[in-house]
Amino acid sequence: MSAITEEMLVAYADGELDEVNRRRVERALAGDEALAERLAAHEALRGRLSAHFAPIAAEAVPDRFSALLKPQAEVVNLAEVREQRTRRMWPGWAMGGAIAASLVLGLALGRGMSGEAGPMGVSRGQLVAQGGLAKALDTQLASAQDSNDVRIGLSFRAKDGGWCRSFEGAAVSGVACRAGEDWRIEQAVPGHAASSDYRQASSGDARIMATVEQLIAGDPADAADEKAARDAGWK
Amino acid sequence: MAFESELLALVPRLRRFAASLSRNAADGDDLCQAAIERALKSRDQWQEGTRLDSWMYRIMRNLWIDEARARQRAARTFAPEEEGEHVGHAGDRDIEAAVELSEVARAMAKLPDEQREVIALVLVEGLAYKEAAEVLDIPMGTLTSRLVRGRGALLQLLGEAA
Repeated sequence: MSAITEEMLVAYADGELDEVNRRRVERALAGDEALAERLAAHEALRGRLSAHFAPIAAEAVPDRFSALLKPQAEVVNLAEVREQRTRRMWPGWAMGGAIAASLVLGLALGRGMSGEAGPMGVSRGQLVAQGGLAKALDTQLASAQDSNDVRIGLSFRAKDGGWCRSFEGAAVSGVACRAGEDWRIEQAVPGHAASSDYRQASSGDARIMATVEQLIAGDPADAADEKAARDAGWK
Repeated sequence: MAFESELLALVPRLRRFAASLSRNAADGDDLCQAAIERALKSRDQWQEGTRLDSWMYRIMRNLWIDEARARQRAARTFAPEEEGEHVGHAGDRDIEAAVELSEVARAMAKLPDEQREVIALVLVEGLAYKEAAEVLDIPMGTLTSRLVRGRGALLQLLGEAA
């Protein structure tokens, strides 16, 4: 038995010993077969673990991560938008205009929609999401969406305690809040198909953010809260 | 945008670290996503000029610890058995279990958390002892003793020849 402790042997295998101690271990290894075997086992363990997990690091980065980190799919940063808004000179004017514009569109949609299956319809006297939009609002997570027609922006609790979500789609973008089993449309603005500039109709849209700002209590849900809310049926 | 692109470049390593902490690749990716979201939210706390990778490892490790504690609480309440070994033996789940709960992953899962995180940082991520001790905010002596115990346990679980 040599005087080399397990700790020293392990540090040797990990390349963590200084010159003096490395030589000590090497001298001991030369005359101690059991120690040499032990070292081989530690080196093999390191090789096996790194080989086991290496393929994950070699994979292409999955979309869910590149989408999170690429500028064009930027995660809506409410704090930043809030800051921008307070810096603006006539926020009242901007918001009034936004709401007027969305009301007009809401009415137009409500009327044009009768008898046709679109993203919205009138149910029990309210403008509500239907079809694909309703499904997206029910099930889609902002943290995990790929090539769907509708993208979810923010999920958050409104001041009345109910859940609301902002969304963007080709035809229409806006904000909807849970009302019983329905998603009541709080705001609708033209979707990105109507805009030459995709960014303009994103959930960073000042009009949508203004509505979110008006409705929201506290901060938007993070991924875990959002998932829990969805699993609980947005109650 | 420098922050985002630096973070994007780290994703392969972060996914690997997450996988070595988690039960399987899918849980690992959920952890990785949570860590990235946390980082984006608290990017102000990252000091330029310091290492982003260490900062990210630390965020991910802390999320994992929180989650592990929550899971332990849930396990005490609901399921006495060790989950992974009783996953249903039917169809897809079976294949998934066979692929994802390989021998190495099973052995890692049996380590106490404090040993698993050290093994993951040093043996999988290849961090120097000093770097790993900083990520975990523990003294070097604590790190090396956990590493020795973790290595010993893995050698036993995987067979001496590893």
